[in-house]
Amino acid sequence: MGWLAYLIQHRGEALGLLGEHLLLVGVSTLLAATLGVPLGVWAVRSRRAQRWVLGAANVVQTIPSLALFGFLIPLPLLGGIGTTPAIVALLLYALLPIIRATHTGITGIDPAVREAADAMGMTPQQRLWQMELPLALPVIFSGLRVATVIAVGTATIAAAIGAGGFGSYIFRGLATVDNRLILAGAVPAALLALAADGGLGWVERRLGRR
Amino acid sequence: MRGTAALLAGLLLLAAVGCRARPHVVVGSKNFTEQLVLGELLAQAIENPGVKDPRPSAVTRRLDLGGTFLCHQALLRGQIDVYPEYTGTALTAIFKQAPISDPAAAWSAVREQYQRLGLAVSPPLGFDDTFAILVRPADAARWGLHAMSDLRQVAGRLRPGFGYEFMERQDGFAGWTRAYQLDFNAPPRVMDLGLLYTALAQGQVDLIAGNSTDGRIAALGLVQLRDDRHYFPAYQAFFAYRPSAAAALRPAFSRLAGRLDTRTMQAMNAAVDLGHRDPAEVARDFLHAP
Repeated sequence: MGWLAYLIQHRGEALGLLGEHLLLVGVSTLLAATLGVPLGVWAVRSRRAQRWVLGAANVVQTIPSLALFGFLIPLPLLGGIGTTPAIVALLLYALLPIIRATHTGITGIDPAVREAADAMGMTPQQRLWQMELPLALPVIFSGLRVATVIAVGTATIAAAIGAGGFGSYIFRGLATVDNRLILAGAVPAALLALAADGGLGWVERRLGRR
Repeated sequence: MRGTAALLAGLLLLAAVGCRARPHVVVGSKNFTEQLVLGELLAQAIENPGVKDPRPSAVTRRLDLGGTFLCHQALLRGQIDVYPEYTGTALTAIFKQAPISDPAAAWSAVREQYQRLGLAVSPPLGFDDTFAILVRPADAARWGLHAMSDLRQVAGRLRPGFGYEFMERQDGFAGWTRAYQLDFNAPPRVMDLGLLYTALAQGQVDLIAGNSTDGRIAALGLVQLRDDRHYFPAYQAFFAYRPSAAAALRPAFSRLAGRLDTRTMQAMNAAVDLGHRDPAEVARDFLHAP
């Protein structure tokens, strides 16, 4: 349990890393949600968009994170090193589960319900806001949950471009052959992922109950 | 029944003879270019021994393992038989000792430490892979930077970027800034070493600590500052190995020992990093060169 002693001893620093980690995950998944849900809706509306949006999100998912960081360094504005490119990378990784969940959630709605909405004379706008999105919400939310858990894990790699987070301990531990430091980064990151999963799962169950 | 027993005994004998005829060696390496090239060099030297030793051994490659930590653990547990290491890294990172600047003293200390673990070391390969303090040529010309002590006046104006290893090690950042009395205004940007070269070339940081044998130094035209106070300890390259594999390894060691100087290693690293050639191919060319 040397890692726990280390964390307690360096609690100020560890809290700072926790803050950085939460910032990376929070900002990137919120941005991914605001981008991903409209993209998912667009993918439902048009077959062409479906192919391109889901295809692109799939491809992004396969790029190794270090390679993605390497591509981002020379980019102006969104690139470079530090927090900004790390958030960009995490956002890109979080998009796929959210887009896919939105798409699945809306296409999975019983066609009879959609016919009823049309029969009531709803415009496509009204149908989206009053019927499709509310019914798909539990599925969309489960996608957001998956995206968040993935982001908590992936954020450890953000330390490769100086964005901090618990990954700093992991990288430092790997560089100095120090098991204790690796665990001091890996265990809190894992606990954070479990907490995010549990917390969002609770919200999800409440959404489903309505 | 008797026939079966005899058959089994025969098979066992065959297996034993087979094993002896073709010893098996597992070669490991860390996950950066130089280690991949060194791993390939050794693997190929074992597979194609010279005329003196006509009995080649079978080799399994476990190259690209994630760092010093993994390689050392794998060697201790017998999951690999041999991997390339550096005296300075072994002393400070593996054995947690103070760095030693004298190459000979560092060498004997390292050998002794490995012996205590029941492991052995090859003769030195012939080059040092030490920290290289690098700047862009424009900055070097502008501030007149040649040696590390030239940094003292301009340190406040430079944005440094370092790898995690440099920040943590006893012979890294803290000791180096103390030895050269450097006072950087900005806290150093700490990130992955491989990405630092790009960050320096792109102007995201102004000064980095790289590896002296990295091919990117020459390729990106970076300026390496002279260690005029002899701060950085010796990082002689060698192979750490399990004595059980000695018979297969020794002839290969004697083929490689002393033949790899810094420039040769830099050129091979550059061939992989910048020429985009396969480490195996680069190693083959070296071994087949007259």
